[in-house]
Amino acid sequence: MKVLIVGMGKLGYQLAEAFAIKDNDVVVMDQKQSALQKTADQLDVLAIQHNGVEITSLKKANIGELDLTIAVTDDDETNILIAFLSKRMGCQRSIARVRNPEYSRQSDFIKEEMNIDYIVNPEQTTAQEIRNYLLRDMSMHVEDFAQGRIVMADVHVNHMCNIAGYQLKDLNIREKVLVAAIVREGDILIPHGETLIEETDVLYLIGESEDVASFSGRCGVSTDKKEVDHVVILGGGRIGYYLTEYLVDLGMNIKIIESNRERCKYLAETFGNVLVINGDGTDINLLKEEGVFGADALICLTGLDEENLLLALLAKQFGMKHVISKVSRPNYIPIIEKLGVDVAVNPVTITASEILRYVLGGKVASISLLLGGSAEALEIVIKPEAYVTRDQLQYLELPKGIIIGAVLRGDDVLIPDGTTHIQPEDRIVVFILSGEMSRIEEYFYPPRRGFLSELWNYR
Amino acid sequence: MNYGIIAKVIGSLLIFEAIMFAPAMLVGLLYDETSAIVFLGVMLLTLTVGLVLQKISGSSKSIRAKEALIIVAGGWLAVSFFGALPFYFSGSIPSMMDAFFETMSGLTTTGATILEEIESLDRGILFWRSFTHWLGGMGILVLTLAVLPALGVGGFQIFKAETPGPVADKLAPKMKHTATILYTAYLGITLLETVLLMFGGLSLYEALVHTFGTVGTGGFSTLNASIGGYHSAYVQWVIAIFMVASGINFSLYYALYRNRLRDIYQNEELRFYLLIIGTATLLIFFNLQWEYHGSVFTTLRHAFFQVASITTTTGYATVDYEVWPQFSQSILFFLMFVGGCAGSTGGSIKVIRLLVLVKLIKREIMRILHPRAVVPVRIHHRMLEPDVIASVTSFYILYLLIMAVGTMLLSLEGLDLTSAFSAVAATLGNIGPGFGFVGPAQNYAAFSMPAKGLMSLFMLMGRLELFTVFILITPDFWKEQA
Repeated sequence: MKVLIVGMGKLGYQLAEAFAIKDNDVVVMDQKQSALQKTADQLDVLAIQHNGVEITSLKKANIGELDLTIAVTDDDETNILIAFLSKRMGCQRSIARVRNPEYSRQSDFIKEEMNIDYIVNPEQTTAQEIRNYLLRDMSMHVEDFAQGRIVMADVHVNHMCNIAGYQLKDLNIREKVLVAAIVREGDILIPHGETLIEETDVLYLIGESEDVASFSGRCGVSTDKKEVDHVVILGGGRIGYYLTEYLVDLGMNIKIIESNRERCKYLAETFGNVLVINGDGTDINLLKEEGVFGADALICLTGLDEENLLLALLAKQFGMKHVISKVSRPNYIPIIEKLGVDVAVNPVTITASEILRYVLGGKVASISLLLGGSAEALEIVIKPEAYVTRDQLQYLELPKGIIIGAVLRGDDVLIPDGTTHIQPEDRIVVFILSGEMSRIEEYFYPPRRGFLSELWNYR
Repeated sequence: MNYGIIAKVIGSLLIFEAIMFAPAMLVGLLYDETSAIVFLGVMLLTLTVGLVLQKISGSSKSIRAKEALIIVAGGWLAVSFFGALPFYFSGSIPSMMDAFFETMSGLTTTGATILEEIESLDRGILFWRSFTHWLGGMGILVLTLAVLPALGVGGFQIFKAETPGPVADKLAPKMKHTATILYTAYLGITLLETVLLMFGGLSLYEALVHTFGTVGTGGFSTLNASIGGYHSAYVQWVIAIFMVASGINFSLYYALYRNRLRDIYQNEELRFYLLIIGTATLLIFFNLQWEYHGSVFTTLRHAFFQVASITTTTGYATVDYEVWPQFSQSILFFLMFVGGCAGSTGGSIKVIRLLVLVKLIKREIMRILHPRAVVPVRIHHRMLEPDVIASVTSFYILYLLIMAVGTMLLSLEGLDLTSAFSAVAATLGNIGPGFGFVGPAQNYAAFSMPAKGLMSLFMLMGRLELFTVFILITPDFWKEQA
């Protein structure tokens, strides 16, 4: 696939990184030399220093031969224009990032009229993600595959009763559920029967949706939605705005703390029954005065990662049960979850995985980046002649970092073991460490033809 | 420092070099010479060392800028060492230092030779000697990148360190693809020139050897009298034109292929390059006509050939220019500091840097005239980043500094100033012949061993654009960051 990415911010870089693997040709464009330099030095991509809105620069990237344009500059209008132009100039598909709430309400109209295939709004997507956490009880985060038939859930062990200290094989899992991976202190490990579960672990469960629900229910993970009622949001920026919108719809009590007076006015005008407080979120006296630490959940959405992080830690010190923190730099995420913050959401990763899910849609049915991109879960429809269809799994010698979590065959969901033999047309959910990402093709897709390509693929 | 990956890449490079001995071995077999056995032996030795190096496992697969520098400099040294073995073992060059000098001169496309008598040597050996030009011309590591499995990001770091010019640009998103494009253009030009030379009556062997010398802008010949040995105006014109063609940025051939004629037409560096060659040719032509009143076409041909040869840093000669009038000689002397375009096989300072310098001077004048004017330095309609300008100016200064120190060291050999200065210029600029003691009718045989070692270093420095080699001898480079 040939991809052009315009705008090399955090999102642009993460997208370039995700697309640059395998045989994709990636061209990146930005006006700033410094942003490009980093990308060109670290990824195998073609960097062009140009303004993406200019037709000449799009021509320079051979726009007519491209499969996809992703416009993620920091300006909405520019993005829309780039997506529009590149589509007109022969690019197959285009995606634009649009973050202004005024525009997002009319994004369907823009999509239609400007012939743009997909519009992503990072803040809205992030807000949705946070809402999902809150809805499904904070202890569990669920990802859907195969139209919701198969789910992958991550569960904190300390939210479950009495499973720490056991080995996996002693858990007596009656349901068709597989523990695909364990996150321990920020590292991902692929478990086996003898793996000992520790108090601080996070388990990734894959299985049929009812089974996962029943298993987690049996382990004492509550699914009571009413647990969260009073929510405090620090920072009334765009994410805060969308989140408030969602949570008000759910009938929750919201309190927003925002330092900018104008913004406060705007929020108070927009949301009638939300308490908006004008003040500094780092002012502990203010937080105490407002009874912030007595609320059910605290969501830190200020513009500074460090501030979000420290406030989240502080809230944990005061014994708050649910703390979510926004962190824009992926490198911080492993440390944060180690420190006891319940969930760290990264708008960049969330948006990147949404775009990937849309782009790879046909081929890889669902995709989700986990842990800031160090692992992924993919849904793949197996074609005839793919390597995995050759024999039972136990004889295939798949690498350790690749785990087949569930198989949807016709209408049945199977949890594979060594004797499972994958058939063509099976829909599988694969859990994969990003180090093994390049080998997906080798195992799950039909080999490319020809003697030379055989030699080429030889390792 | 990730020594594992360094060993691995250099190992692959040596395996690749072992394969590259094959054509020379074939020539040896065809002409039934003992050199074939020497090549077979050296090939096996190189292959073994390469395979052993490849087995060393590294901590990770990542190549950062630092590792890339060591890979490039170390790779060139290793390839030169193993490339020198056939000369040594076949007895063609009895001293190892001389053999190393000759190979380094070949790979860096300098074309400075220590051989006094060429024509009596085995053809297999002479073929290898010229083939090193072809390998080194576009960069042996870049060639490896095109052939071997992808190195990914590390590939770009290596490409940047090996490709001549202040900024290296990719032509395609994948490094491997970029390397393939460049080598396709290179191969195309090679084939074309070989065929054209064969029309001129050269045998396939002779045509190939001289093509390697031309497209790599090297300068090794099979004749003692260089191209002058062929008394054919056709052959001399073909070689002269292909020398000029090889001094052009190879990405422009890709633009030609993609039918982007505007890119070529608007390329300021190309224009400046052709302007320099054209002006110098005319000046020398008039000077020669003024003095000797010879045949117009012969004079024009010799003027153009010598100008093209020195400017592109090839070093072929059709006449001994040291008997020319002083004015012509001084023009040729200063052409030694021009070189080819960035991204070509030519050496020396490179036209683009001269262009930047000219524009900097222009800007300075503008600033004095209009103290408050904002004057950006633009090339190809793009503003140059300040750090690129800084790297160009510091390149000049380092070049001059090395010239100065080198001249002083070589004058310890008892050389006169012109000879010493031009010997440094000819090796650092990868040209080959210089003036005086190292003129086109002379060679480098008479230098002492340390002087040859020093000049080998200059050739490597010049080929890898000074900093790649220079950085390696600074203590800061070897300090391990925590």
